[in-house]
Amino acid sequence: MNIIIALAVGFSSGALYALIGVGLTLMSVLTRVINFSLVAVGVFGAYLSIRTSPLIAGASLDVQTVITVVVAVLVAALISGILGWIEATWLSEATTTARSAVTVASLLMLISLSFILFGSQPQPLRPLLIGPAFLIGDVAVTKVGVAMLVAALVVGILTWIVVNRTPLGIRLRAVSDRQTAAELLGVNVKGLQVGVWMVVGGVMGLCASIIGNTAAADATSMITLVIPGTAAALVGAFKNIPLTIVGGLVVGALQGALTAFPSTTQLRDWIPILVIVLFLLWNQRKEVWDVAR
Amino acid sequence: MSLKVTDVVVRRGVGPVISGVSLEVHQGSITTIVGPNGAGKTSLLESLSGIIPIASGGLEIDGQEISTLSRRQRSLLGLKHVEQGRMIFPSLTVRENLTLTARSKADFDEAMSLFPELEKRIDSPTVLLSGGEQQMVVLARTFAARPRYIMIDEMSLGLAPVVFLRLVPVIQGIAQSGVGVLLVEQFAHLALRAATDALVVTSGKVSYHGPAQELLADEALLRNAYLGQ
Ligand SMILES: Nc1ncnc2c1ncn2[C@@H]1O[C@H](COP(=O)(O)OP(=O)(O)OP(=O)(O)O)[C@@H](O)[C@H]1O
Ligand SMILES: [Mg+2]
Repeated sequence: MNIIIALAVGFSSGALYALIGVGLTLMSVLTRVINFSLVAVGVFGAYLSIRTSPLIAGASLDVQTVITVVVAVLVAALISGILGWIEATWLSEATTTARSAVTVASLLMLISLSFILFGSQPQPLRPLLIGPAFLIGDVAVTKVGVAMLVAALVVGILTWIVVNRTPLGIRLRAVSDRQTAAELLGVNVKGLQVGVWMVVGGVMGLCASIIGNTAAADATSMITLVIPGTAAALVGAFKNIPLTIVGGLVVGALQGALTAFPSTTQLRDWIPILVIVLFLLWNQRKEVWDVAR
Repeated sequence: MSLKVTDVVVRRGVGPVISGVSLEVHQGSITTIVGPNGAGKTSLLESLSGIIPIASGGLEIDGQEISTLSRRQRSLLGLKHVEQGRMIFPSLTVRENLTLTARSKADFDEAMSLFPELEKRIDSPTVLLSGGEQQMVVLARTFAARPRYIMIDEMSLGLAPVVFLRLVPVIQGIAQSGVGVLLVEQFAHLALRAATDALVVTSGKVSYHGPAQELLADEALLRNAYLGQ
């Protein structure tokens, strides 16, 4: 199998990892946290939005779909905002490690809550984007995959514009550079951080609404997509958005390549872990060198 | 109208680093705090701006108790703190630093005019500036915010003597426009010359509190105060 085909096979997953990786990178740069509960809030938004169906049953299908997605985005943004508020209120001085550890706790809490609320079966989300966008050879590239890549690019570009070209961006960078100094100048650090949590949470709500009905997507397997997302973000060192997007696509392609042979298909879930370990070792290299000197 | 500190105690790590300090900075006046390394000067300013909490005592701005307010709330009341050691925003350019704080173009231009050296670096990220230029940026962005009370911890740090000399009348001008100024300086003479009031802090306690001129005029008094006698 050649590289193009591997890319095509892994593209949909890879684009999704890229989007999640971009969200993780944004939050890491702007709010000093590696947010492991990122995808979970999106899944909650999407699954809870289904509960609106009895209320809007009278409307046309398109309207129902739009309302459901909007509700998913808002609910995800709200849950994310609450988590962000907790971090900004009680852990504002804490290290990135401590702040991230709290998101692991909220991840575990959201996973068990999702079992209680939604069980272990995929939920009947409305289909948003179905079928292939185009074919490469005889491999179909799905619309969902294309949408995820476009979303990752759009989020990346919009972020770049906001951060580098607007007064809001000056504030965000000041907080990211030196939080205390920003507070002393009257910058609303808490408001900005909660805002970032809400926006990224909302994007994840949209993302979960789109992917939620594509595969055998139950809550837990969607929530744990944060692991390959982390692998993608690590490729960009949690700083570089273009590299993160490339990282996501590469992880997807590697997985795609493995599915070519029945004997290696089982290994595909290990690819993200492998990438994570490799990058952590790669980063250690310098420190080991420094210590050795 | 004043910034008032009453019997403040600040604990840090093992024990109190400020024990029972009182002072009052009126709008339009300059107070200079001097004292040896480790005396607690920085800790005192940090407790005023809310970086660290006070253990007991009172802090007021114009009669309003502020010790329970957040850093931001204190800042919005007009209390601005220039921290010791050039706390720059590395990625922000000079222009962005001032945009962050200036509420009008006039405030921006006025702050900028105090530091003509920065003009040619206006679109450079602060991290690429020299130490002295960075200190100018930190001061300029705070001046541009039009503080009502300003606390400056070791303004002289990294600045060429001629720049520091030029800033002394600037600070006096800011005070004359109705701002309360609290300066902390290691090397006291110039800062004392600009000031109306002076405090000497040693080991967390005030060992002299009175007119700055008196302290300046009496070398022995200054030396004894430093030694905590
Ligand atoms: N982050 C900290 N944690 C614990 N103790 C601290 C901390 N910072 C300062 N101290 C202690 O508080 C005391 C006062 O320090 P502070 O920095 O306020 O002194 P200073 O008068 O500003 O000194 P300098 O002139 O050197 O700047 C010192 O004994 C110092 O060891
Ligand atoms: Mg100090």
